Amino acid sequence: MNQYAIKLENINKSFDIEKSKNKSEFARLFSNKTKLSVLDNISLKIKKGEFIGIIGRNGSGKTTLLRVMSGIYTPDSGRIHIDGVVAPLLHIGTGFHKELNAKENIIMSGLLLGMKKSEIEQKVSDVIRYAELEKYSQMPLKHYSTGMRARLAFSLVLQIDPDILLVDEILSVGDKKFRDKSFKAFLSFKKKNKTVVLVTHNLGNQFLKMVDRAVLMDNGKIVLIGNPDEVVRKYTEYQDNKN
Amino acid sequence: MYPIPLVNLRKYKSMLLYFALINIKIRFKGTKLGVAWTAIEPTLTFVLLFVVFTTIRDQPKENFGVYLLTGVIIYHVFTRGTLGGLTSLRSNYSILESINIQKEFFPVVATLATCILLIVQLAIFFGLMPFFQFIPTWTIILLPIVIGLLMLLILGFSYILSIIHVYVRDIQPLWGITVHALFFITPIIWYVDDIKGNDLGNVLMSLHAVNPIGQIVELAHNIVVFNTIPPLSDWLYTVTFCFAIFLFGYYVFHKFDSKIVEVL
Repeated sequence: MNQYAIKLENINKSFDIEKSKNKSEFARLFSNKTKLSVLDNISLKIKKGEFIGIIGRNGSGKTTLLRVMSGIYTPDSGRIHIDGVVAPLLHIGTGFHKELNAKENIIMSGLLLGMKKSEIEQKVSDVIRYAELEKYSQMPLKHYSTGMRARLAFSLVLQIDPDILLVDEILSVGDKKFRDKSFKAFLSFKKKNKTVVLVTHNLGNQFLKMVDRAVLMDNGKIVLIGNPDEVVRKYTEYQDNKN
Repeated sequence: MYPIPLVNLRKYKSMLLYFALINIKIRFKGTKLGVAWTAIEPTLTFVLLFVVFTTIRDQPKENFGVYLLTGVIIYHVFTRGTLGGLTSLRSNYSILESINIQKEFFPVVATLATCILLIVQLAIFFGLMPFFQFIPTWTIILLPIVIGLLMLLILGFSYILSIIHVYVRDIQPLWGITVHALFFITPIIWYVDDIKGNDLGNVLMSLHAVNPIGQIVELAHNIVVFNTIPPLSDWLYTVTFCFAIFLFGYYVFHKFDSKIVEVL
């Protein structure tokens, strides 16, 4: 059996950036673009059942890395191996449509994440109950608060029960009660030997305590991988030095 | 191996219908009359044109009402279908940025939604015929082929337009003007037989020859209004034309689809 859930080999990713901002839209279409390297030769192996925390400053490439793992971005070069069903939880209210209500959004996202329609329909009420949104289930999502949307997204992912969960900062928006609840959910995830990759720039994030290994990123490179306490200490020093 | 259109969507088979229905729901969200607009819009266009042209023409041709209705409905389906396809990628940005999915899914869903709405338009089509004391003959059994070609054409255009719309938003108003122009070079308010001969007619005829939607309307007129079966060469010409646009559309789409999320 393959022991790795995620294997990244020499991943490079860059974005096209305009040289000059002053040009008209039309001129920009044909203007030369410079490449901004966002991921620079990233290699990382994540074992099955491992809980990984990725930390780094804004713009260090954390989110791009997560998007490459989830297949949303195609890397310029390098190889990715993923073993298992991936559920990305990258943005608040990801994949949700603001004009649709909770039930419709659950079915839509569930289908997108690979569930059968009959399967999701059975789980709709569980998802809504776990997110504590029973009272608002008929309301279009545009009237939801950020926290409510995050709760809905997270409970949906729990019901889907993926092998690999990719989480980008989103749980920090929920209230304390929900954070405690999701903390427990993560623990049970861990018990079930699921793989979790969590991205954060907030060192106070209580989820970091659960992490098996931490990865420090800066300028599109992996600076350090190892014991979370050590990586966090290094990151703090690093930031202090820069200031 | 070069990917083949639609083949990669097999795994989404069970989702296509649900997403097409949601697409229809969102399309008419906020309007008081909702899906009824699918019926009202072409009917009103038809009534308007019918009143104008029966007034300015002394002697309208036989079955002018059904002739006009056929053209208006096909044109309407094409216009709404391609405009729906055009916005299909941009309007689903929140899904595209949060999950890995075949990008082709969205123009296909939009075209499927157009297909479902066609049921409403066909109901108007056959529902209005009795008003003109018109009974179609057996040649109408070929109508499904014409509809199939129309859908293929819409999907082909949806591929091209949706991917251009990702990079250049201006395509939306530009396409709005283009379909306006198409209205005049498509035999909706004029007859192909009438324009042959004079200089202006020759120009219009050469435009008509390269207008795929015009070719489809002409086939439909023949089998619905004139009770004739067009020669095989006419069929082959239109089939080849529609397939060429469909395959070219897919080619363009596939060439640029890996960068969609970054550009958006």
